[in-house]
Amino acid sequence: MSRLQKIPVVEEKKGNPLARVFDDLVRFCRSRSLFILHYCTGCGAIELPPAMTSRFDMERLGIQPMVSPRQADILLITGYVSIKTLKRVILTYEQMGSPKYVVGICSCTVNGGMYWQSYATAKKLDEYMPVDLYIAGCMPRPEAVISGLQKLMDRINSGEADSWQDYYRNYDYYLGNQQKLFGEDWQTPTDIITEAKHYELMGEGTLGQHTRLLEQHQKPLEALEMRLGHNIKEPVE
Amino acid sequence: MSQQVAHWLDNLLKEIEGIEVRRKSSRRVRVDVPADALPALLELLQGRAGYIHLSAISCVDWIDDDEFELVYHVWSYESHSLVSAHIRIAREPGVYLSVYDLYQPAAFFERDIHEMYGIHFEGSPNMEKFILTEWDGPPPMRKEFDSEAYINEHLSWQEYNPEWLQELVAEGGGVIIPPEEQRFSQKKK
Repeated sequence: MSRLQKIPVVEEKKGNPLARVFDDLVRFCRSRSLFILHYCTGCGAIELPPAMTSRFDMERLGIQPMVSPRQADILLITGYVSIKTLKRVILTYEQMGSPKYVVGICSCTVNGGMYWQSYATAKKLDEYMPVDLYIAGCMPRPEAVISGLQKLMDRINSGEADSWQDYYRNYDYYLGNQQKLFGEDWQTPTDIITEAKHYELMGEGTLGQHTRLLEQHQKPLEALEMRLGHNIKEPVE
Repeated sequence: MSQQVAHWLDNLLKEIEGIEVRRKSSRRVRVDVPADALPALLELLQGRAGYIHLSAISCVDWIDDDEFELVYHVWSYESHSLVSAHIRIAREPGVYLSVYDLYQPAAFFERDIHEMYGIHFEGSPNMEKFILTEWDGPPPMRKEFDSEAYINEHLSWQEYNPEWLQELVAEGGGVIIPPEEQRFSQKKK
């Protein structure tokens, strides 16, 4: 009897057997058509042109640069993230459509790198947004960038790269760290909580004390004023 | 030719009393001036010696002497030489005159020094925040500003033995210099 109990029982996943096949297919396709938005904050950006162009040719992996955050899949942060830059990085990240992946290149995104003692540089990028992959090095060579991106492709293919869901599920944690750095009245134009409801990704950590603080300080967004031409003052003689 | 110019410049600088001239090379002169004589010196260099280009104004915080050192670098395109005029001003209240009326680019350097050291330049056209527009702490380049204490308060350090690093250590990578050998606050005294 005791031997019988030791036999492992594999529980088959219920539901449509074709659903998993379809998911696998989607993930396979997704991992082979990636558009990167390279947020070139520091010196690591200089390694990207050779990685993109004919020498190392990122495009053979199906990875291409993209100009706007709305159409991009990967946010590539190449170098030190100063506190001023971090605000813009978060704005950019929140504008990207899901699924989205963040890759931190260079030592600076890992631990501050050579700016470890600087008052103006954030040390841990993954406190403010979920990071899928770090490529360490100062600076990493294009080979390392390519190998890192291949690893990301594998992770997307196997379904491990789902940290973008973590941003919705633990939004309170990320918002708390952002508020600690930028002040209590920090607000972005993207409504993450409504998005989390839309994606059905509300977790235990989505709402909390920091999101309540956000609701207190939140100001309704206004459309930007459209202006044509320049508004340069004539020099007074 | 350059020796003639150098000789001529040395004679010119003798016209101002109380300054110390040290010639570093044929194309480089260091001048130590009392703070109130600097505008006159710059006017002389610009008007009579052709030093029309203000390359930079740099600042050094000598906290033990309770003084700021301001260095005005002026360049002449005719004699291809640089004059560095050093002055010392008191750290408190840290106020000095702007040289904007002589050299317009000074506005840029003075604004930068005001932001980084808190020195106020009287007569400078704009003393608003320049690069640190979203910074509300003290001027960060002053020696009494403790960068590490600021980080401990506002930011957090990366862990040096996180789980994800174990894989890299197994492959022969990882942290070579442990943080206690680098951080001043953690150094054994």
